[in-house]
Amino acid sequence: MADAKNLKIDIMRSFLGRARGLGSVNDGFNFWWMQRLTSIALVPLAVWFIFSVAHLAGAPYAEARAWASGPVHATLLLALIAVVFQHMHLGIQVVAEDYVHTDWIRTTLVLAVKAASLLLALAAVIAVLKLAITG
Amino acid sequence: MVEAKRFFADLPPRSRPKPGKVWKAPAGAMRVRNFEIYRWDPDAGGNPRVDTYEIDLDQCGPMVLDALIKIKNEIDPTLTFRRSCREGVCGSCAMNIDGVNALACLKAIKDIKRPTVKVNPLPHLPVIKDLIPDLSLAYAQLRSVEPWLKADTPPPPDGERLQSRAERAKLDGLWECILCFCCSTSCPSYWWNGDRYLGPASLLAAWRWISDSRDEATGERLDALKDPFKLYRCHTIFNCTQACPKNLNPAQAIGEMKLAVLAREG
Repeated sequence: MADAKNLKIDIMRSFLGRARGLGSVNDGFNFWWMQRLTSIALVPLAVWFIFSVAHLAGAPYAEARAWASGPVHATLLLALIAVVFQHMHLGIQVVAEDYVHTDWIRTTLVLAVKAASLLLALAAVIAVLKLAITG
Repeated sequence: MVEAKRFFADLPPRSRPKPGKVWKAPAGAMRVRNFEIYRWDPDAGGNPRVDTYEIDLDQCGPMVLDALIKIKNEIDPTLTFRRSCREGVCGSCAMNIDGVNALACLKAIKDIKRPTVKVNPLPHLPVIKDLIPDLSLAYAQLRSVEPWLKADTPPPPDGERLQSRAERAKLDGLWECILCFCCSTSCPSYWWNGDRYLGPASLLAAWRWISDSRDEATGERLDALKDPFKLYRCHTIFNCTQACPKNLNPAQAIGEMKLAVLAREG
């Protein structure tokens, strides 16, 4: 609107000032690199897990327990849990940063996803350890 | 960007274009093609509108820019757009044509398959008038990567700084950028986070100077880029590379910078 009375300018900061913003946090590499490493690690772990679970399909409960409590399987399960939840929360954080533009919703969402991932990962780890230790 | 970000990406009600005027082709025109062109006049205010111009292709040059110039000269002098060189060197006439960012001067009308030629300003920038977007922030982002030679070694007193042929060859595919911003404005990361993500055009310029054998500020440049938004908001979808009217590859340049940071973290 060209109506001078309605003309409202609330930003007079220079464009260069806006472009530089708060400056570089000198970080972001670890996040990016961790996303790549976890996705590579997920390839063998996920293939192993899917084949194992498919192999166990229809097996009695005791057999599944015995499978999961073996030291090799328990170790691989713990690795899978760590990698899955790490990869998942990093991925959801990127989605939130890309698409959610209200600061408090974005921050709340990212923190909630981190908390949920941590709790779910801990619960899964305890389940595996319980099987592995008590047999 | 400057205005409030919205949770949903749909256009705010006052930005939604409404049907506008129809400018009929002269009687007896044999080869008519419709051009639907985005119009918005800051002095009139209100919603933008889409005007339809019926163009007689027998009386018009081959490129979309020829049609725009014909409209401005012969049909509707109020149509406003940037143009200068009309041969893909200046980057002024970047706009969204048939849904794709392109230079109007290099886009042949006959290459557009849909019956109607739709012309809009570059996406997701504030519109100044009609097909003219406000590139102030994009230019400032380019300035923020300091696209000039930085060296502590003084130049030789008897001539210019020298490069080997191999060193010079590394700049090919980087120096040709004409700063039309077709790439940045085709990038969803730039649409959603253009206030913090630098965008492919500025990042290509950053890589051009990191790649320059005469430049001595590589570490400082990488420090400034190593940021979850400035550089790493690129998710490597290659819209920029597809959009570039000069066939450059900003996505590869961004990938090279991520690898340079990786090499440094080693």
